[in-house]
Amino acid sequence: MRLSLSLLHWLLVLGMPILLVGTINRTKSWWVGRRGPGLLQSAWDLWRLLGKQPVVSTTASPLFRAGAYVVLVGSLLAMSMIPLLGRFAPFQFAYDFVVVAYTLGLARILLMLSAMDVGSSFEGMGAAREAAFSTYAEPALFLLLGTASAATGLSSFADVIGALHGTVHFSLIVVPLVAALLILLQTDAARVPVDDPLTHLELTMIHEVMVLDHSGPELAAMQYAAALKMTLYAGLIAALVNPFDPLVSPLAAVLVSFGVMLTVAVVVGCIESLTARLPMRRVPAYVLLASAAALLSMAIVGFGVGAR
Amino acid sequence: MNALILAVLILMLGAGLCLLPLRNGLRAAMGLASQALATLVACSVIVPVLLGGAEIAWEMPWAYPIGELHFRLDALGAFFLSWSLPMTFLGSVYAVGYLRKYFDGPRHLGVHFALLNMVAVSFLLVYTGEHAVTFLFGWEIAALAAWLLVIWDYSNQKVRFAGFNYLVSTHIGLIFLVAAVMILYTRTGSWFLDDFGDWLRQNPGTLRNTVFLLLVTSFGLKSAFFPFHSWLPRAHAAAPAHVSALMSGVIHKAGLYALVRFLLLSGKPDEWMGWFLIAFSLVSALIGGLYTVGQRDLKRLLGYSSTENVGIAGIGFGIGCLGLSWDVPALVALGFGGGLLHVLNHAFFKCQLFYAAGCVYQVKHVVDLERLGGLFKPMPITALSFLIGGLAISGLPPFNGFASEFMIYAGLFGSHAGHPSVGIWATLSLGLVAAALAFVGAVSALSITRAFGVIFLGTARDSGLPEAQEANRWMLIPMGVHALGTVVLGVVPVLGFALVAGPTALLLHGMPDVVATDMLQATLATLTRIGAISAGLVLAVALVLWLRFGRGAAAVSCNATWGCGYEVPNTRMQYSGASFSTDFAERFRNILVLVKRRKAPVGYFPRDSYVITDCVDAVERRLYSVIGQGDDTASEISQKMQEDDPRFAFSLGLAALVLIAALVLLVEGALP
Repeated sequence: MRLSLSLLHWLLVLGMPILLVGTINRTKSWWVGRRGPGLLQSAWDLWRLLGKQPVVSTTASPLFRAGAYVVLVGSLLAMSMIPLLGRFAPFQFAYDFVVVAYTLGLARILLMLSAMDVGSSFEGMGAAREAAFSTYAEPALFLLLGTASAATGLSSFADVIGALHGTVHFSLIVVPLVAALLILLQTDAARVPVDDPLTHLELTMIHEVMVLDHSGPELAAMQYAAALKMTLYAGLIAALVNPFDPLVSPLAAVLVSFGVMLTVAVVVGCIESLTARLPMRRVPAYVLLASAAALLSMAIVGFGVGAR
Repeated sequence: MNALILAVLILMLGAGLCLLPLRNGLRAAMGLASQALATLVACSVIVPVLLGGAEIAWEMPWAYPIGELHFRLDALGAFFLSWSLPMTFLGSVYAVGYLRKYFDGPRHLGVHFALLNMVAVSFLLVYTGEHAVTFLFGWEIAALAAWLLVIWDYSNQKVRFAGFNYLVSTHIGLIFLVAAVMILYTRTGSWFLDDFGDWLRQNPGTLRNTVFLLLVTSFGLKSAFFPFHSWLPRAHAAAPAHVSALMSGVIHKAGLYALVRFLLLSGKPDEWMGWFLIAFSLVSALIGGLYTVGQRDLKRLLGYSSTENVGIAGIGFGIGCLGLSWDVPALVALGFGGGLLHVLNHAFFKCQLFYAAGCVYQVKHVVDLERLGGLFKPMPITALSFLIGGLAISGLPPFNGFASEFMIYAGLFGSHAGHPSVGIWATLSLGLVAAALAFVGAVSALSITRAFGVIFLGTARDSGLPEAQEANRWMLIPMGVHALGTVVLGVVPVLGFALVAGPTALLLHGMPDVVATDMLQATLATLTRIGAISAGLVLAVALVLWLRFGRGAAAVSCNATWGCGYEVPNTRMQYSGASFSTDFAERFRNILVLVKRRKAPVGYFPRDSYVITDCVDAVERRLYSVIGQGDDTASEISQKMQEDDPRFAFSLGLAALVLIAALVLLVEGALP
């Protein structure tokens, strides 16, 4: 059972990044009345990049090319502890969420250093923004986990997120928690209103501007890692709202998770179609909303348990 | 004769030999040889104690009024000695490389090496002293030796100022320490730490709380906790690199040692002490972290990050305290174990970072971020070493900082596990602390990216500086040893925990033996898993890199960096340290005060125009302005009074006596 669930988990980990990006693009096309690219278009893009010979900046050090693969491996390692299917992750142990957060931190720092490595002011700007915004985003995840672990009394990522259903105040805290995760998704996966990868105007981008000088397989690694991050947060939302335990009713759990992740992609696509990117100076306040939402749920749990 | 006394004698003999009229090279050799020998001799006793052997105690007759000196080496002291002595030796080796150009000069280098020996002596006294006077004596030797080491470049007025600043701060700390010792002496009539401990265990209450606060202040000043940190960035920027490294990584850990020693002596602490320690340390971690963001002097930046890291270790000790007062052994093991492990890890990576900064300073003669750049290619070993240390200091896997921070996080999240004595608000508060710690981690990642990115990546910003090349071997080898330690303790954190297990077991002393063993086993299992993940990460990255680049050089074409259509970029157009931190620092301008000096361009062909920005320490400025205002007020009052009026003087004296009598009556109750 665990083995087949693990296989399914990895299938989702590897496939969902492609599918989520496809779904978002499809949704956006639908809003503007185009047919849009196929759902698997980003897979073909990555495949094309893998066959290309990279062009490397003369300024870059060896770190530049190695960095892309640290980012990819770090993101994959983090994904092995993320409960995509509900209360289950292939790699699960006490306080594994700290490992997830810090592995993603390693990936992020290598991404920023690769950007600084080419000595371009544009990429330095992207790195500075990424660094600043991540400091606002980081506490939100830990507040969320602190709330969930206090509410459930459990200690691994899959348990605290997956078992939150059984707690008394779930119906109250689910909304702020999902909102917090959605904001984190938009921040970490570079989506509107935090970042708009499609403008291709260097001054307004965050993530895309950091990989301006990457090309070929290294660019593919970076882009896939970015899509993995989106899968990570979409998967967390799915695990949070998924009412089925994958170890009891696997089929329902997998289907619900899959459906919720696609729904998240559609929601992200709708937000991107209907709103504009925020001005850069407003972004910190928006990211801090995630922490505020998590704090709210923390207060609900505190007063709820204290009242009983 | 006891091996540790022998070690002290060897060190002092070596210090004496350093001062002889010999060639500078020979003097340095004497210093190094005596340190190596003393370290080996000392380790022959330290290692068995650390790995679970019996404690060693010995006495020495001494002159009146001290009478007899007592020493005792237990697991806690052995833990601190086990890395302090070898690291001091490595620092002395680095000193040979760092000061090499003075060897043929007229300057007497023996003093410097003798002082390094005295630092090692002070460790032996402080970490084994059982008599309060030996403890204070060792404390003072460390302070004076560190001061004299800091003012190596004493002809520079700024360096002298930094030195005095340090000297004054450390003695203010000493006053608090002496006050606490005096209180304990009046209560026990004894100078022995054991007797102090007995009294502290039996008399919880106001006086114990006072002693706790006095000691935390004193140890906070020693370890540069916020708001007692302002001497530290100055001293670290002024001192030679190896002195900064030893001060930050090794010498000032004595404050944390003394804190843990006090907690060990005083038995079961009150709950508020744990919360107080956590809050005090968290503020240090936050403010220290924030200050690293704005610095343009690399050594100042590293100095502030010391404040941040002692804060992180202090959070661990605070959790341990809570564990002791709640009787939750898991928290004791994770808190104290994690805190002590972080102290060890910090010693490894902080010295490494300072050594790298020293290598940069040796070739470039500046450590100003805005003038450096592109050093990765000419100095690959230094760059890699700085990168490893930087990733470790941000607590990122697969390096050692991650293992200790993981334990502290586990303590912060682990308070609820089935302990009815722990309320929901306590659990949630610790969750908040964890979130704040995550913020600190992200901030330190920001400032390390900034420091490494600006100094080592991109291209050189100032062509007027000397050509960069790799530093000499005397400097690279100590740095390499530290880097190796950082990696090994990251991939096999169990090794680090083997050193920490002894002192942690001491702190678990109040718990039943079975529980204590269980706890240590559980922590060991956790760390093994963390090590396995780190090792897996390293292997996976190595595999992917080999698959991509290993089989023959992959075809690559090189071209200039994409300039967005702009054809003639110059090196000053890179993102600078100030521009990198602006996005973030703008939100914290109350703390990160920006000082700007500028001369705007005038006319059609402006020649001389500039903008210079720097981030100054708001706390220090505030401190000085308060002291200045107080000084003004005092002199104003004294001008108004007629000092030579005897009636006034007598009445003041009477008032003081009445006040003292009232205080005595208040504390002691009515006289019999």
